[in-house]
Amino acid sequence: MSAIIDVVSIVLVALGVSMAVVAAVGLVRLPGTTTRMHAATKPATLGVLSCAIAAALQMDDISSVTKIAVIVAFQFITIPIGAHMLARAITHSGTTEGNE
Amino acid sequence: MNNVLIVFLAVLVMSAVVTTARIVWSRTLATRAVSFDVLTSIMICGFLVSAAITGDGLYLDLAVVLGLLGFLTAVTVSRFIERTGK
Repeated sequence: MSAIIDVVSIVLVALGVSMAVVAAVGLVRLPGTTTRMHAATKPATLGVLSCAIAAALQMDDISSVTKIAVIVAFQFITIPIGAHMLARAITHSGTTEGNE
Repeated sequence: MNNVLIVFLAVLVMSAVVTTARIVWSRTLATRAVSFDVLTSIMICGFLVSAAITGDGLYLDLAVVLGLLGFLTAVTVSRFIERTGK
């Protein structure tokens, strides 16, 4: 049973790490600020979620699992709000970077 | 299992280095803010993987505080951009 949980958490960590690599590569390769926001928000959120599930499978007490749930809920609330505020600031200030 | 997770942690560090290079060599403040958001998420992933390796609950407190700081950074920088127009 423990080996199965280990394999599942390794697969979930691999998914989360690959999503982090996709976000970093997208930041370098994509042109412009608003297109980079695609790479910044979606893969990063999925990476945090899968890494959190993998960490929760390895924890043995209920308080750590609750903390991980708080982390995931906070990320899922704040990442879209921050991205929305940044996009609104870029649009209102008229400083779209374009293709650099 | 711990050796595999340490290899994944090294890959996370490499993507954090790439994101830091994007923060340093970017032209506008908005791109830096977006890249810093990604860097915060990568660091939270690293803390969660470290918690999975060691089984220590201290890394989870660090991840909670880091998520709060990353949100405050995004809000503050976007207010600054909206007010000054840079």
